[in-house]
Amino acid sequence: MKLARIITRALGLATVLLAASAFAQTITLGSWRTDDVAKVNNIIAAFNKTNPNIKVKFDPTNPPDYNATLRLQLESGNGPDLFYARSYATGEELYKAGFELDLSSLPAIKSNFTTGATSAWTTSDGKVFAMPLGAVSHGIYYNKDLFAKNGIAIPKTWEDLIAAADKLKKAGVTPFGNGIADNWDINEVVLMSAMPSTIGGADGRIAYETGKRPFNDANMVAAFQQMKDLAPYLPKGFEALTYNDMEALFALGKVAMVFDGSWTVPQFMDQAKGINWSIFSTPPLKGKAAVVEFHPDSAIAINPKSKNIDAAKTFLTWLSGPEGAKAIGDNLIGVFPMSKNAVKLTNEYANTFLAFNTGTGQDARFVWPKLMVGKPSGYDLLLNNTNDVLKGTVTPKQAADNVAAGLAQWYKPSK
Amino acid sequence: MSGKPFTRRSLSALPGYLLLGFWSLLVLIPLWVMVVNSFKVSLDIFRDPFGLPVTVSTAGYEALLAGGSFLTYFFNSLLITTVSIAGILVIASAAAYGLANWTSRASRYLLLVFLAGLMIPIRIASINLLGLVKDLGLMDSLWGLFPIYVAMGLPMGVFVLTEFIKAVPKEILNAARIDGAGSVKIFVQIVLPLTRPALATVAIFNLVNLWNDLWFPLIIIRSDDQRTLMLGVTRLFGQYQTDWNKVLAVLTTASIPIILLYLVLSKQFIQGLTAGAVKE
Amino acid sequence: MATSRKSLETERNLAWLVWILPALLVYLVFMAWPLLNSLRLSFYTGSGFQLDNFIGFDNYRRLFGGGEESNRFYGAFGNTFIFFAIHMLVQNSLGLAFALLLSRKDLKGRALFRTIIFIPATLAIIVTGFLWKLLLNPQWGPLNLILGQVGLGDWALPWLGEHNLALPVISLVSSWQWVGIPTMIFLAALNGISEDYFEAAQIDGATGWQVLGRIKLPLLLPIMSVVAILTFTGNFNAFDVVFAMAGPNGPPGYATDILGTYFYRTGIAGQHPVGIPDMGLGAAVSSVTFVVLLVGVLSMQYLGRDRDAEAQKKAAQK
Repeated sequence: MKLARIITRALGLATVLLAASAFAQTITLGSWRTDDVAKVNNIIAAFNKTNPNIKVKFDPTNPPDYNATLRLQLESGNGPDLFYARSYATGEELYKAGFELDLSSLPAIKSNFTTGATSAWTTSDGKVFAMPLGAVSHGIYYNKDLFAKNGIAIPKTWEDLIAAADKLKKAGVTPFGNGIADNWDINEVVLMSAMPSTIGGADGRIAYETGKRPFNDANMVAAFQQMKDLAPYLPKGFEALTYNDMEALFALGKVAMVFDGSWTVPQFMDQAKGINWSIFSTPPLKGKAAVVEFHPDSAIAINPKSKNIDAAKTFLTWLSGPEGAKAIGDNLIGVFPMSKNAVKLTNEYANTFLAFNTGTGQDARFVWPKLMVGKPSGYDLLLNNTNDVLKGTVTPKQAADNVAAGLAQWYKPSK
Repeated sequence: MSGKPFTRRSLSALPGYLLLGFWSLLVLIPLWVMVVNSFKVSLDIFRDPFGLPVTVSTAGYEALLAGGSFLTYFFNSLLITTVSIAGILVIASAAAYGLANWTSRASRYLLLVFLAGLMIPIRIASINLLGLVKDLGLMDSLWGLFPIYVAMGLPMGVFVLTEFIKAVPKEILNAARIDGAGSVKIFVQIVLPLTRPALATVAIFNLVNLWNDLWFPLIIIRSDDQRTLMLGVTRLFGQYQTDWNKVLAVLTTASIPIILLYLVLSKQFIQGLTAGAVKE
Repeated sequence: MATSRKSLETERNLAWLVWILPALLVYLVFMAWPLLNSLRLSFYTGSGFQLDNFIGFDNYRRLFGGGEESNRFYGAFGNTFIFFAIHMLVQNSLGLAFALLLSRKDLKGRALFRTIIFIPATLAIIVTGFLWKLLLNPQWGPLNLILGQVGLGDWALPWLGEHNLALPVISLVSSWQWVGIPTMIFLAALNGISEDYFEAAQIDGATGWQVLGRIKLPLLLPIMSVVAILTFTGNFNAFDVVFAMAGPNGPPGYATDILGTYFYRTGIAGQHPVGIPDMGLGAAVSSVTFVVLLVGVLSMQYLGRDRDAEAQKKAAQK
């Protein structure tokens, strides 16, 4: 009977809470960035200084559940007013299904972005389905103290990097902290961080996509060979180490380097206080030009069924303007605003990342623009073969052949 | 062992204690790791995962209190779970009583129909269920979970209870019948008390499943004041995933209420057992 | 037997249907119909969760026709079977042993042990997954630290990263979590066995093993079939534990990919990072699983019924 009392009490509480909830006009912003709650709320606070009447509620879902939950909610008419849209095919799919408002005619899109900046969220017939929010970059975080102690300079070439790793290992230091358990980071922040330089940047990528180069050419083999080069220098048990493990290893000073994305800067600023660290750009193979991985990552779309489309547009317009760009730069450290209004960033690490772009080419992650939709996807082929190369079960040549054979099952080169 | 009268028919107790002791360690060590590390400073967990904290930090719990309306989430979970379990027990035990007594062939097939609910992943029906919830006007409401949860609990509930009611000795039922008891009276006064352990089993099984369900709150509920504990916890879990002491504080906080609920329910269960099942 | 049947029939048979109706109604509307309506999608294709492009058996052809999709499907099927078998073997045997021990009136600390055995089942899967990943971590996991300290450093493996170990390890963790359920069901059944049987046996001078083998186990047979069916259906639809400990792809190299994760990947979430669900294919996976389970359960019940009758005969003779 105690239970009955608890139930009645809970019922009472629930009604009180229901009655107390305010009925202010609010727009909801869905996202997969659960880590960013505090930072996005700061951005929203900045927005409310000039737009006090529009309340924005940031309501993220954990990444593994985001796509499915969003899709279900959109289909059942229960979607958020605004939501983070993935780049290229994934985002476009939602537009085709009628779940993203065509933003092509939104003045802010035309005035605040170059066509290059919006291209990752533009359909083949030129409709812009989301407003770019930020790009991310990849590089190598390193422990300055361990580098200094072992007399290592910042590597200029991949060969230097491997030589440095060898020297560290001989000195009893684990060179790299990356593992393969999570099945995405090895692909996105390690392999695809090295690939742009190895294959010759955007031009090289397009040569594959248009069929001018076979997917198992010497450059692809070279990229997998780079992974094989890394294998001896990964931590013991790397097969079962996750992305979070990797970050903890680095923050604890147990490894000298980790491949990671620019978005990790604020986390290391917070957790790696015990060590001196900085970042260098993933070096190219000797004789190749450096090309930096600079990836259009997130954008925001408007739900056409939203009852607050005007408020949503106001928010996006503000976000792409000078105040919004500043708020993004100040708060989402390691995410680079993509609007023309991008202001000077104040964070030294973020600026270090940005400086990599000076005098080099840039490109998105290799498989994103064309090779994602189809089975087996380019993403899975690169991922699985990287894992196998690292474990030593296939050679770099076999890995490249596997990629070519897998893509041949569905991919028709575009003109 | 002290139980002299039992020695002749009991097996030696030592291996049993060894097994139970070993298993207890296997259960308690992970829990110890969870609780003790939730009080450690962020990265200390990797320096000494077993030991007591060098510097005690309650930062994780403070962030938790500051970060969300946990009391609301907790009451929401308590409410929807208990009400759903009550619903399941009432209609599942009635159905089981019917199925156990109905001697027609159709009864066997009906039981199979119920069982079929355990054979298809419920996620596949998400879009249809969302449609139903929307038609009922329960979108973004805690109560949208209620019909789904009751339906989810029925297959296991009906199946297990039917088997247990079938096992009730026929002599007892017949004696009652001869005394002139109707089927309702037999159900309430004889069958339900006799199957109390099974009812408790069904209740606890559903408690675990419904309390920990994340999927349906995720797709049905958006408003903060309607959220369940798991929904709130998982969000914080994502938010703090590299802030280890916060993660563990979140996990510890999420685990304690349901362990307590289990203890409350299993007390009922023990009473059911000690009542001496067949001695009514 | 004959007399009891007769007295049961004194009530009109169909009246029993009234008892079943409320449950049946709720079940049909909120479970059976949504499920069947979704399985129907296995004959359709399109994007998202509401498909309208009829393609006949094409989705099934992709599952059974060889090639990439077949490899994944067959792989997941085999893994699911191993996953199920380990639960059957480890979780249910332990559950039976625990229940037999806990049903002994002379066992000290029964309530405490029972609670401890059941606690893991109350934990949310994110708790279990996180804790065991931590315990098994190759760098700082306590398990490998202990192995190192007792001189078994060579045995300290990256448990979840080894192709041959990951699936058994995850199955054992899952058994660890759920052993409380069969324990509780067996315990409930053991407590339903009349004391008279034991007293009679004791007078006959039966040993503990004899009581176990000749009375307890035969009487538990019907419940064993209940537990077996619940384990079978539960594990062929398992998803959470692999998702939490290994991820939706069933790494390493699909070694832990079971039907649940494969279904989730194809039918619900879509392949990371593209995330476009292929609901038709997902529905086909579920339909095949459904048929396998249905056939399995029917045969288990058929066997169970025979043993049921036999056991009752045996017990009655005692």
